This record gives sequence, C-alpha cells and structure tokens, in this order.
Amino acid sequence: MLSYARVDRWLSRFNGPQTIGHSAPFWGAVLFVIGLGIAVPYIVGGYDLVNFTGFVLMLFLAMGLCFIWGFCGILSLGQGAFLGLGGYTYGVVGINLIEAQGNTDVALIAGLIVPVLLAAVLGYFMFYARLKGVFVAILMLVVTLLFQTFLNQTAGVQWHIGKAYLGGNNGLGRFSAGITELPSLKLGIGDLVYEFVGTSPAFYYLVFGLAAITFLGLRMMVNSRIGYIMVAIREDPDRTEAFGYDVRLIQLLVFCVGALLAAFSGILYVGWGGFIDPSAFGIYNNILPVIWVAVGGRKSLEATVVSTIFLLWLSQRLAIGGEYAFIVLGGILVIVMMLAPEGVMTSMLDYWARWRRRGAASGRRTGDI
Amino acid sequence: MEVLSFIFSLLYQYADSIALLLLSSVGLIIIFGMMGVINMAHGELMMIGAYVTAWSYHAGVPTGFAIIMGGIGAGCVGILIERLIVRRFYGQLLASLVATWGLSLVLSQSFLLLFGPGPKGVPTPFGSFTVGQLSYSYYRLVMLASALAMILGVWALFTFTRFGVQARSTMENPEVARALGINTSAIYALTFGFGSMLAGLAGGIFALTALIEPNFGQSYTVVAFITVVVGGGADFVSGLFASALILAGVKTIIINQVNILLGQVAMMVTALIIIRLMPTGLSGYFERIRLRVGRR
Repeated sequence: MLSYARVDRWLSRFNGPQTIGHSAPFWGAVLFVIGLGIAVPYIVGGYDLVNFTGFVLMLFLAMGLCFIWGFCGILSLGQGAFLGLGGYTYGVVGINLIEAQGNTDVALIAGLIVPVLLAAVLGYFMFYARLKGVFVAILMLVVTLLFQTFLNQTAGVQWHIGKAYLGGNNGLGRFSAGITELPSLKLGIGDLVYEFVGTSPAFYYLVFGLAAITFLGLRMMVNSRIGYIMVAIREDPDRTEAFGYDVRLIQLLVFCVGALLAAFSGILYVGWGGFIDPSAFGIYNNILPVIWVAVGGRKSLEATVVSTIFLLWLSQRLAIGGEYAFIVLGGILVIVMMLAPEGVMTSMLDYWARWRRRGAASGRRTGDI
Repeated sequence: MEVLSFIFSLLYQYADSIALLLLSSVGLIIIFGMMGVINMAHGELMMIGAYVTAWSYHAGVPTGFAIIMGGIGAGCVGILIERLIVRRFYGQLLASLVATWGLSLVLSQSFLLLFGPGPKGVPTPFGSFTVGQLSYSYYRLVMLASALAMILGVWALFTFTRFGVQARSTMENPEVARALGINTSAIYALTFGFGSMLAGLAGGIFALTALIEPNFGQSYTVVAFITVVVGGGADFVSGLFASALILAGVKTIIINQVNILLGQVAMMVTALIIIRLMPTGLSGYFERIRLRVGRR
C-alpha cells in the first residue's frame, strides 16, 4: 500500500534542517526534474545528448565540493587533482586489463581507490596539523599543479605503466598499439558484460542515475548525525571539539568523500570522451567547481546542481561566441561574492522566506518551502 | 678547480632560487602578511608589471625605468582592486580567497583576449661571466640584490616613516587608529597599492628573464604563498629570509641531484613538514625559542 504517511516517513530521512525543501511541492519538483532527466534522450538527439551527458557527469565534482565546503567548511582549490588522478588511474588500469578481463570493473574500482588514498594521506597531514582553512585550500592547488607539471613532462616512451603510455601533453594512450582512445566503461562479470559507450543513451542513463542516487545519498548524509557534526565543525570547530567530537577525523572522512566524488567525475569523463590529458589537473577543473558551488549557494546541494548545469551550459554558449567564457565566469564569481556571498539561489530563497514570514505576520496564509 | 667551479655553480643556483622566492613573495608579505588578505591575484599583478615593463621597454624607455613603470602600473591596478573588491572582504579569509581567485581568472583571460599571447620579451642586460667551464649571467645576481634591497626598503618604510607607523597601527586596531585621526580607508588602499607595486616590480624584474604571457603569474602565486606561510607571521622579514633560505636550499640540492620536478616536489614536502611541526611558521618558532631563552 502506498499511503501518504508511508511516503512521508520514507522521505523524512532525506529531510532536515540542513537542506532546503521538504514539502510536497518540493519533492514533486524533484520528481519532475528526474522525469525530465529520464526523458532527455527522447527530446534531444545525438550531439546534444552527448553534450548534456558531459554536463551531468561534472555534477559529482560539484556535489563533492558542495559537501566538503558548504557543509563542513573545507574549501579545496585542488579538486582537479582527484578528478585527474581518478581518470588517469582508470585509464592506466583499463588499458592494461581490458584485453585479459574483458571488462573495466577493476579499473573503475582502482580509479576510485587511488584518489581516496591520496586524499587520506594529504588530509592526514593537513587536518591533523590543524592547518587553517585557507592553507588547506592553497595547498590543494599546489598539489594539483604539481601533478600537472609532472604529467606534462612524461611525453617520452620511457614513461609508461605496462601498456599504458602517459604521453605528456598528448594525453594518456596506448602508444605501442597506435591507439589513443581509452577504454569505455564495460561493467559486469564473465560473459554478462555491458559496454556503456560514451555517446550512447545507456551511458547517459548510467551517469544520470548515479547522479540522482548521489544527490539523495548526500542529502541523507547531511541530515543524519554526521551531517549535524559537519555543520557544527563548519560553524565552530573548537566548540565541536569541546563537545567531544574528533574534528580532525571527521574532516578527514568528509574530505575523502569529496575526493571520491571528484574521482567519479574523472572516471566518467574518461568513459565519456575516451581521452584524458594533463589539463584535467589544470586551473579550470579546479576553479570551475568553486564557481559553480559559490554562485548557486554552497550550503545547498540543490542550488549547486542547478547552478552547475546552468553555468556549464552558459560557458558552452559563450565559448561558441569567442573566448569570453572564463572572463564572464570569473566576473560572475567576483560579483556574486560581493553582492550575495551565500550564493544567488540561497539568497533568493532567503528573501522569499522572509517575505512569506512578513506575510504571515500580517495575517496571510503561511507555509513552508 | 673542478670542485671549486662545481661549488660555485651550486651557490649560484642557490642564490637564484632565493631570489625567485624572495621576489615573488615580497609584495605578498604586505598584502597577506600584514593586511591578512588572501590575494590569489598576486601573480596577475606580477603579470601586469611584466606587461607594462615590456611595453615601456619597446616604447623606448630604458630598462631600469621600464621596470619602475611596471611597478607603478601594477600599483595603480592594485589600488583599483582594493577600492572595488578587496575592501569588502577584510577579515573574511575564505571569501577574499574565492573572490580574488575569480579576479585572477578575469585578469589573465582579459589579457589573453586583449593582447593575444603576449608582448615581445625584453633582453637580459649586464652580460655574463665565466667560472670554470660555465658562463653565468650577472643579471641573476642583480635579481638577488634587488630582492634584498626591496625587503630592506619595506622594513625601513614600515619602521621609520609616518606612513609605516600609521599603516601598522591601522592593521593592528582600525577602530583606535580611526579614533586617533588616521584615515584608515586611505591607509588600506595605499598599503594594498604598495604591496601590488612591489609585486609589479618583481614581475618587471622577472620579465627580463622569462617568457611573458597571460599565465605568467600563475605559478608565482602559489610559490609566494608557500614562502610566506612557512615564514610565519610573528616577524615577516626574518621569517621570509629563513623560509627562502631553507626552501631554496632543498630545491637547489634536489634539482642538482635528481631533476627539476622532484626539486619542486621536495620544496613542497619541506613546506608541509615545516608547517606540520611549526604551525605558526618559522618566525613563530623563533619567537617561542626567544621567549623560552628570555625566561631562563
């Protein structure tokens, strides 16, 4: 039986004070967006779908940064390090194992584990040293730029891991076989293997489904006990420590989750385009997520999702007209930080809530968002 | 003789590394160290200094004056940035970091769009000398000397002049400074402009040895932050020197023995370890030792 009370109870684990939206209209809108997402391959065709897939797969990177920065106060300017490392690891392992195994399961898992290990080591150094937030941010930028510098100079044939040639500026490839195309995602066991070709609707549904699950999972997490502790750390780490929580450990774990999500974007990026080069570690993969998250509203997963898709679309439109994209995006970031430091969507919702409350005070109908 | 020339070449590289660290962070010790503003557009100010230097040089200005023009240009841009943007972010470290990072993207991309890949380079002056088999450029030594002169100048300015005292009191306690009749808003703008000018001068000095392009400054920003953070905030001048001596030392040795990339990694790791062991930086550590010795 599907009763309203049961749905309400089931939804309650995704609702709470850490997230905006818990009313029936809100969840109706979420369902509508999910429905729209499912319908996309039927509405737009070929090239536009491939394009849109490219936007959606960046949501993991954006939601990861929103999770660590917006909810736990850890700003990282180097999420590109985890994205790039995830993509490279997936590619290297995939190239080496695809023929022997016929699938990329191991590559996928390796592409997730290696960046998380890096995050654990870096996080241990940074959080257990009680490094200030700004230094964590800058240090991560240094780390990712070092990766880029290293990979840029690996053009020679001596730089290879098994059959995978790092290839310097040209990007990772199977140089010996003359193939630079990296393996697409082939998941399954034994003969039950399905290949998610990057340009296919199947790949889109994979990415979209994972993004929806991640969104709900993160919503559940920030409204659970650990979410409360995360927000407490964001607001006042010393007081949280005084209450007996291990601030450093939680920061470390949260940071690893952010790295995991960034790595996911990297792996899906390789599965989508079949290509990765050192610019994955470069300045744009680091600054763009910060722009998406800050402009929408870093304390809201919903705002992050909307602004990420919108700004990706906007930068692509601008890129067609010339090289204005990054000037406009940087300009938007500066203006938003000055006028609406909490993000455009969060500020707008705040105004709306205040307006409604004023309405309530003067006797009008009240309600929650 | 072999050994002597090897030692000389090592020392020369060491001096060069020190000059690089000191020059890239000399503006930042004022803007970040004194004012507490995380200016991620620091490298872009250096880039502007380099551009103005190159333009001035090709317009017929003698090299030395061209560098000064670069400093003035970056200083003016710095005052503009302070008035328009940075002014709103005093006391908010993360917000100033994000906003100025956006600004750095705007600046570098605008220069790319407006001026293309970059101006023609400026030839390195002063010629070279030979020790053993190898020839060395005098200019690299001039770079170190000018870095030292700039830091000495900063120290003298903030210690002996009226402006320096007013600036320090403003950063220490703006309310009291204002009550004493200091125009703190002008002091903020001037101090930021002065820091930017030093960044521009450094950019101009680098312009004579490096390729000038819109991403010219990117790498200097992070190097400058590492140097300043390792130096710590208790005493900028001694902290900066200690930090540059240690980091450049590690870098020189590793570059010489292994390769350039590992040299950079080693510098990073050293910085990490120093911050891990001494969270207040080198100068904070010196201060603690001094206090401990004083108590005995």
